[in-house]
Amino acid sequence: MLKFIGRRLVQMVLLFFLFLTLVFFLLQAQPGDITAQFIDPTIPAEVRAQIVERLGLEGNVFQQWWSYITSFVQGDLGVSFQQYPRPVIEVIGERIPRTLFLFTFATLLAYVVGFSLGKRLAWKRGGFSEHSVTVSGVLLYTVFYPWFAILMILFFASGLGWFPINGFLTPGFWRNAPYTGNEVFAQMLLSLAIGAIILVGTLVLASRQDERRTARRVRGIGYTLAIASIAGFWLLRTEMRPYAQDIVHHSILPIVTLALVAFAGVMLLTRSSMLETLKEDYILTAQAKGVPEKDIRDKHAARNALLPVVTSFVLGLAFIIGGGVVTETVFSWPGMGSLLLTATVAEDVPVAVGALAFIGILALVAHLVVDILYAVLDPRIRIHTGN
Amino acid sequence: MTDTRIAPILEVKNLVMNYEVKGGGMVSAVEDVSFELQKGQSLGLVGESGCGKTSVALSLLRLLSSNAKILGGEIKLDGVNLLELDKEEMRQHRWTDISMVFQGAMNSWNPVYKVGDQIREAMDIHWDPKPSAAQAREKTIELFELVGINPEMIDRYPHEFSGGMKQRAVIAMALSCDPKVIIADEPTTALDVIVQEQILAELKKIQRDLGMSIIYISHDIAVIAEITDAMGVMYAGKLVEMGPTEELFTRPRHPYTWLILSSTPSITGPRRSLAPLEGEPPNLLDPPTGCRFHPRCPFATEICLQEEPSLQSIGEGHTVACWNYEQVPATLARSQE
Amino acid sequence: MVIKEPEASDALTVEEEAHVALGVGDERPERLWKVRLKLAWTGLKRNWKLFRENKIGLLGLFIIVLFAVMALAYPVLRSVGPWQDDGIYDPVTGYEAPVNEFEIVPTEADVVDSATQMDVATAQLWCFGVLPGETCSIPLQPAPPSEGHLLGTDPLGRDIASQLFFSTRAAFLLGLIAAVVTVGVATTVGSAAAFYGGWFDNFMMRLADLVLLLPLIPILIVMSGLWTINLVLLGVLIGILSGFGGTAIVLKSQALSVKVKPFLDAARVSGGSNGHLIFKHIIPNVLPLSFLFMMFTVTEAVSLEATLSFFGLLNIDMSWGIMLNTAQSQGYLRTGLEYWWLLIPAGIAVTLLAAGFFFVGRAMDEVINPRLRSR
Repeated sequence: MLKFIGRRLVQMVLLFFLFLTLVFFLLQAQPGDITAQFIDPTIPAEVRAQIVERLGLEGNVFQQWWSYITSFVQGDLGVSFQQYPRPVIEVIGERIPRTLFLFTFATLLAYVVGFSLGKRLAWKRGGFSEHSVTVSGVLLYTVFYPWFAILMILFFASGLGWFPINGFLTPGFWRNAPYTGNEVFAQMLLSLAIGAIILVGTLVLASRQDERRTARRVRGIGYTLAIASIAGFWLLRTEMRPYAQDIVHHSILPIVTLALVAFAGVMLLTRSSMLETLKEDYILTAQAKGVPEKDIRDKHAARNALLPVVTSFVLGLAFIIGGGVVTETVFSWPGMGSLLLTATVAEDVPVAVGALAFIGILALVAHLVVDILYAVLDPRIRIHTGN
Repeated sequence: MTDTRIAPILEVKNLVMNYEVKGGGMVSAVEDVSFELQKGQSLGLVGESGCGKTSVALSLLRLLSSNAKILGGEIKLDGVNLLELDKEEMRQHRWTDISMVFQGAMNSWNPVYKVGDQIREAMDIHWDPKPSAAQAREKTIELFELVGINPEMIDRYPHEFSGGMKQRAVIAMALSCDPKVIIADEPTTALDVIVQEQILAELKKIQRDLGMSIIYISHDIAVIAEITDAMGVMYAGKLVEMGPTEELFTRPRHPYTWLILSSTPSITGPRRSLAPLEGEPPNLLDPPTGCRFHPRCPFATEICLQEEPSLQSIGEGHTVACWNYEQVPATLARSQE
Repeated sequence: MVIKEPEASDALTVEEEAHVALGVGDERPERLWKVRLKLAWTGLKRNWKLFRENKIGLLGLFIIVLFAVMALAYPVLRSVGPWQDDGIYDPVTGYEAPVNEFEIVPTEADVVDSATQMDVATAQLWCFGVLPGETCSIPLQPAPPSEGHLLGTDPLGRDIASQLFFSTRAAFLLGLIAAVVTVGVATTVGSAAAFYGGWFDNFMMRLADLVLLLPLIPILIVMSGLWTINLVLLGVLIGILSGFGGTAIVLKSQALSVKVKPFLDAARVSGGSNGHLIFKHIIPNVLPLSFLFMMFTVTEAVSLEATLSFFGLLNIDMSWGIMLNTAQSQGYLRTGLEYWWLLIPAGIAVTLLAAGFFFVGRAMDEVINPRLRSR
């Protein structure tokens, strides 16, 4: 298993360098001098020459490429034009957690809900519910996304007033706050991380149990503990809590909107994958064994139908990330996607390119996670590569 | 075979089963099939593919697809009519009373679970009280040794098993809840000849040692000949001949049995050309009038076109459904050498 | 990568069908083109029959035809129809705003009918220096639907219906360019990778993995910052990017299944060059699948263009995305559905056209892909 992860990791790193090279040539291929984009054009000539030397923007294309790659690895992405002289890495670093938050929750929501709905649809064929859910799934799948996001805002924020229209927090409410938004957000992420670690830990423990009843009990304890730890974390921080609530309140609508669109594809795919699985011989065997219907659906059919759904995540990834950029922009969520767009519009090329590179990293890391997940779920892959 | 007529362990009476076809119409897949299985006996059902043998097997477990309807008959297992049970009761009868070795054991295993765990699942459902992890393991190892698999394989996944091993493991799983009857549907079809022989020998041994009652289903009459005490021949959803295996092999009375025996090459017997079974199996959406075999029968007469023959007893435990069974030659069709 | 390559198609290839139709040893080369035409026709008829069974596909086709009619109707409407006046109905430069006359009253409390009266303070915004008792005329833009403007006007006083019809043509043009480029790139890359194999195949497929993984929207956003992107360039960029990704992978596996067919060996033995083999034998057999991907590329191109235009990143005069951008940048999208004609027609147009091509693609998938057909 470790060998498998190691090999995938090496592949990902290679793919990432290929990607960086593509980005580099994208910059090279643009009209005009590349140095003009990376260095503020208004500064004096000798300072400019110094910076050119420092940034490694001299020599032939290959040397430039090499210095681009090496400085990227060292975290040197240049300096923002817009927020001069803040380094690009710092600007991006501030945005990454917010994008990860949006992306992770929307993806989890989409896959969990899409999968469990899809498997139920396939199990109970026919009827009004299958028809209507399938049709609305197709509608969600094909809707023009930015437009859909606007309609969501119009309906749930402007119309019903359940959620704020946009943004990351309510500025007026935070005017005299003893904390900055980033501080509170960091605490939120910390509490989530604690919960996640507890959950994963107990789930691993549960999978090691021989007795099924014990395993189930350990899993139950894990869920309770994870939720309790997050709840306890915020019970202790009474002063910070209202501010965290404000951020959560702002994040619900963008997460749900992004999740809804991604969910449709997952649901439709799960349904067809499940219909295929139900034709397999081992389903008949399970029925002959007298396995209860619900266990046949969940343990035998859905467990196998999950595999192509997980695989499809690689294809859905680009879709969700693209959707994330749109979501952040429409909802004014200050993440990497909206940074990418504002930097592009403001011609802050170092930031735009840096954000693009980090979105590439996000895609590759997510891909790696899915590959590992797939290997965990499918013994045929795990064991062949493990030996 | 026991001669004292104690109540049979399994009794199928006048079973009728149809498939509904898209766009109206019914396929009569099983038509008025009756047979008995004594405890410790093995019974073979043989016929061409599509003749309804697997439909009979699936009816016994009530595992039919949603477009299939059992229209009548009785399936009495140890005195209980399975067709009268509700879904939940039937589920509990499966595997404890009647278990099955499916055709194509290759795909009978769920690829994502360990083989040992899949066997244990059956025990978890049916044993009372539920076995502990250690008990289940012990029983599985015992079964693996019985069917000739290395007990270490218990923690392996299906894809790590060879085809023959998967089939042995399926047999082990079928035995895990000590069922009263086992149905083996084409248990060796997908395997190569040597493995096939081994598995058949294994099955025969297990049946003798444990006193199991087994129904074998196969299109391969040679397989049936090797391991069964009695056999029934099915054609187009109907049982056309039934009797002790030896008797049927030496003195087939139905033209269809006679023809398929003639078309089976024998290594030990005298050289003979294989008698061709001409024509296609009938379309069950619109079966032929009278005897369903008449379009392909070399002995067909006027009455065969009009009236359906019913099973009649012609010897000890030997029944046949044919108007002209006396015309069928006593020897198999041989070449004119 | 865990992307599964699709199973090789079991369907007869063009060549095999031709051989079947000609019969063995049938030597009448002068009639070959006729046979091919006939084959193409019967193939088309058979596929149409399969396609027709798919209601979703027919719906998609209906939507596409509807938009095609809109695109064709536009020049007619502008030259001989009701939209002849360039000054009013030009989608980019046209202008017309109905003028509302307001009677000026001293204070807000004096306003009895808000449709005809206005207090003096508010009126200063439009008619500076106006006094109570006088009148002030205010051009109404965006104006709601009226007889002259069936879908109303946008915040700049331009006719929405005219913009909607005009943009259809651009959407088709973009889709066509993107689809042709995608298929060109993917067919060439896929066929060449399958044919040559080895390191070339390996490199191309890793590149395809990467492109597949990369989200197009961020890349195109950054590109639009570095270049000035117009409709044609956007079509070419989308075509190249989507042609190098998943489409190339699928077409490669299709080409591989053709590569092992006996007629290819026959052609090689009889002295066909590599180029001849690729262009005369492999590509014709990969093409049907390519057409399928053209549909999905159009869907992608239409919604990508709308997204980028919505962000105001493209150098395009008018499109559905720009219509939404105009409404948004003037602040009309956050006010609820009061100005629905700015939001609904353009949004529905993008959604419908993208969905239309998607539906047709799905239906074609079932016709072409024998694995799906048996369901």
